Amino acid sequence: MSMYLLSAHDISALVTELQASYDVYGPQVEPQTKQVFFDQLASAEALDLAAPIPSMPVKEILFPQMERILKYKYDAQSQSVELSKQYFERPKVLFGLRPCDLSGILVLDRFFLGQEFVDDVYLTHRRQCLLISNTCLHPFPQCFCVCTHSGPDADEGFDLDLTQLKDGILVRVGSEKGQALADAHQWSVASAAHAAEFKAVVERSIDLFPELATDNKAWVAKVMNRITTGFVKPETWEYIGDQCFECGACSFVCPTCSCFNIEDSATACGECERLRMRDSCSFEGYARMAGDHNPRQPVEDRRNKRFFCKLSYPQSKKYLRPGCVGCGRCQWVCPGDIGLPNVVQYIRREITGGQN
Amino acid sequence: MNLAHYKPCVCNLCGTGCGQFLNTDGQRVYGVAPLITHPVSKGKLCIRGWHANELLNTHERITTPLIREHGELRPASYDEAIAKVMSTLQTFKGEAGEIGVLASARSSNEDGYTLARLSREVLKTQLRGIGAEAGHRKSMDSLRHAFGYPGAHGSLTAIDHADYILVVGTDITRQNPIIGGNIHAAQRRGARVVTLSSSRTQIAKLSTKHFQEKPGTLGLLVNALGKSLMAIRTVNHDRRANIDKLPGYSEYAASLRSISSVALERASGIRYEEIEEEAKYLEHAKSVVILFSSGISGLDRPTIDAITNLALLTDRMDHPHSAVIPVAGISNLQGSFDMGMSGELGNSVFKALATPDSAIKALLVIDHDDGIIRDKARIAALDFVVYACAYKNAFMELADVVFPLPAYNETDGTYTAADKRVQITRQNVDNKRGILPGWNLWQRLAAAVGHHWGYQDAAHVFKDVAKHTPGYADLSHELLGKGFGQHWNPKGFASSRQRQFNAINIEYWEAPTSPQFPFALMIGKAQHYWHQNNLMRKTIVPRREYDQTLWLYPQGYIEISPDDATRLKVKDKWLVNVRSSIGTSMKIAVKISPDVQNGTAYIPYFIKNMISDFLLPYENAYAAGEESVIPIQIQE
Ligand code: SF4
Ligand code: SF4
Ligand code: SF4
Ligand code: SF4
Repeated sequence: MSMYLLSAHDISALVTELQASYDVYGPQVEPQTKQVFFDQLASAEALDLAAPIPSMPVKEILFPQMERILKYKYDAQSQSVELSKQYFERPKVLFGLRPCDLSGILVLDRFFLGQEFVDDVYLTHRRQCLLISNTCLHPFPQCFCVCTHSGPDADEGFDLDLTQLKDGILVRVGSEKGQALADAHQWSVASAAHAAEFKAVVERSIDLFPELATDNKAWVAKVMNRITTGFVKPETWEYIGDQCFECGACSFVCPTCSCFNIEDSATACGECERLRMRDSCSFEGYARMAGDHNPRQPVEDRRNKRFFCKLSYPQSKKYLRPGCVGCGRCQWVCPGDIGLPNVVQYIRREITGGQN
Repeated sequence: MNLAHYKPCVCNLCGTGCGQFLNTDGQRVYGVAPLITHPVSKGKLCIRGWHANELLNTHERITTPLIREHGELRPASYDEAIAKVMSTLQTFKGEAGEIGVLASARSSNEDGYTLARLSREVLKTQLRGIGAEAGHRKSMDSLRHAFGYPGAHGSLTAIDHADYILVVGTDITRQNPIIGGNIHAAQRRGARVVTLSSSRTQIAKLSTKHFQEKPGTLGLLVNALGKSLMAIRTVNHDRRANIDKLPGYSEYAASLRSISSVALERASGIRYEEIEEEAKYLEHAKSVVILFSSGISGLDRPTIDAITNLALLTDRMDHPHSAVIPVAGISNLQGSFDMGMSGELGNSVFKALATPDSAIKALLVIDHDDGIIRDKARIAALDFVVYACAYKNAFMELADVVFPLPAYNETDGTYTAADKRVQITRQNVDNKRGILPGWNLWQRLAAAVGHHWGYQDAAHVFKDVAKHTPGYADLSHELLGKGFGQHWNPKGFASSRQRQFNAINIEYWEAPTSPQFPFALMIGKAQHYWHQNNLMRKTIVPRREYDQTLWLYPQGYIEISPDDATRLKVKDKWLVNVRSSIGTSMKIAVKISPDVQNGTAYIPYFIKNMISDFLLPYENAYAAGEESVIPIQIQE
């Protein structure tokens, strides 16, 4: 893997240059609320690579909360239907992805593109994407990517990967596209010392994770085993279910949740648009089948569906990694207390009989 | 630099006032994100807040003024519609009670303030009212007597620090889920959370202690808690409370002393010893928060008085983490009240509509969200009805002229949450159709008959709001735009330091049930949506969720306990005949629920559409709110 060392100025120049032919997105701080979003950059100055993990996952760009995918019009006279597609391809750069969000994209890729059916809407958004990841020098308060093999550094899937070192920003190349970009510039090649510093930076970042997170690493595996084999006690699920307010937030902020709903909505006489919107297995209506059978009507059954999806072997086989990438977002948006890390705790408590 | 797509605003779908971002390109809204640093919602939103984008994308919008001609509504220009409305309204006498104005609890303060001006200065009518205000007025009157101003005492953020939290009646996890979430978080950090509720609601399950009283005895239970707290006080002299000097104390104390533990237990099903145990916790708490539901199905006045009295009796109300909050289900119920749109007691627009020989001839209505239109026949028979709303709904059919309004993100406006926090939402999408914001529409109506107010924008209107509304004096759009709003200041009321007890009566409520009609039927607010049905029906995912129970129980359902089901020999989803003591009846499916106590039955509010014939004669009981009870029999 080739490695280069860039200055902050080089990075800025790169953003500006890319903006000529791409929509460039990156982490930015919203001025009034100081909340971080991964949004389209108006200029290179807006990019803040040191900003904490964005509050919403980067799937906002590839799989938005709601989008119009189709319009159709029925002409009664000629008895014909006119269809028009409502999603369009735009080359994009996702500049400064946190490793967990990068892993999230890889999971979505496997879900939307890697199975028999290729989702054309997602593919259109995803096709011309340049992925530039950014190593986390220290964890943010809710992070536990060390338990789910998705951080604090990226190890696959990026075109370029950035790490802030003392003398500048280390750029690791991860793909041909990334290499082509490097070749087109006169970036200075990084030394062996820089490579060593990179390792040390990542080690230090791992050390900075709270004990609970690192400690949970083994527990995530144990909990996965429990969930897969169905050994979690019904009382534990009930305890979890009682705390679910059925808001759907955990799915909306999860970088790997891919469920959606489709609705055709009439816009005018004979005209209709097809909307697709994110959905969540926490909702009662999510699992209802024709004929009114709902295999997951009680809320606790719906909740264990989520944790089965995030932490079980069959799901991991599908995604080639755990369904959870350790971003911790579901913890901060949950009005109950059942973000994934906590659920791991609850099941862990059940295993140990109360001692942590 | 402002971000390309994420615009901060305030969720407009209940009185919690959660911080929200809308993801928008300035044309359409694509999604929602929670606002992490918001002091109340702290990065959380409920199902409604998370799906605001669906509501804001609905095609069921009113897009232009409409005038009824030959029985049909046809598009019209603003000039034409305004001229028509004002020339017609001028033929009626406001002073004589011929014009009524029914405001919306969702309108911004700017819209409410200018509507109040229009009513007073131009239409000269006293017949005002706010949809859903009935219960809120009782809360305001009780709080005003107790604390000297009509508004919540303390802040919703007190929940995050208080030692003791008392939830009276409401299932707050459904009505105001994010407040429910904060209470749940408080319970986890060690606060004592106590719920008084006749059914086992989610908040009851998440509480440290749930008192499941018999229906109709909430107030009695609160007073019993007062009695035992007072008893401890007499014994424990290390804390010298001087609440006994407050006006009304001796009458209150005498009433409390008169509570008989035997009669209490018989009426409420709760043993006095249990309440005595509870009072010890209350006595030790340094900060106390009490929450109750206010608005369309809020509590009755005696229960609210019991609550405000208990609050004073704790003698902890000056602690910064204490509060008494009438929790509003609709976003700006408090603000609409503050702006003066509430009707005079005994002389409101509701009263006029319900009184067959009243003088009312014309009606101006904003945002009628409720699925049920009360006094519909009377409204249909009025000479002239004007309706204004952002969204299409059934009320349009009754209107002679219809005006569109902007959605909450299409114009600047301030909203006052349940705890008096005034917050601003700025316009974040283009108002492509040139829809006039409410304040400007009312200003244009006034101008059409020679009243010129000269407001340039919403901020300008707000300057007047601040000047003329007690408590709002320090506020401005500029200030509100800087942080996450600010509570209006009780010191705007001269009496804000006053504390006094409300007069109470101890009554041992007897359920109106009888051997022939043994079940106490209550009309509950089930599901996530409550009375905001008409808004939620314009969304996609929340609407689907709302329909879930209807899919399972297409005829509606009545919830009864498993024991009662066994006794009646019925199973879940079986149809039963329900007959009320005044002879109405309906066929409805049984839903067996362990959360309901024996001898009681619930029908969710939203099913009223389907069973309105059954409930219609009970219109008043039903308006009386959460504690109203209808005696019924259930037969296979
Ligand atoms: S389950 Fe929670 S912590 Fe895991 S990836 Fe999803 S949002 Fe992040
Ligand atoms: S099933 Fe649930 S947890 Fe899994 S992807 Fe769908 S919404 Fe997310
Ligand atoms: S975020 Fe929490 S409360 Fe909301 S659906 Fe998920 S688990 Fe339930
Ligand atoms: S609790 Fe109320 S204000 Fe908060 S998100 Fe839900 S509807 Fe909106």
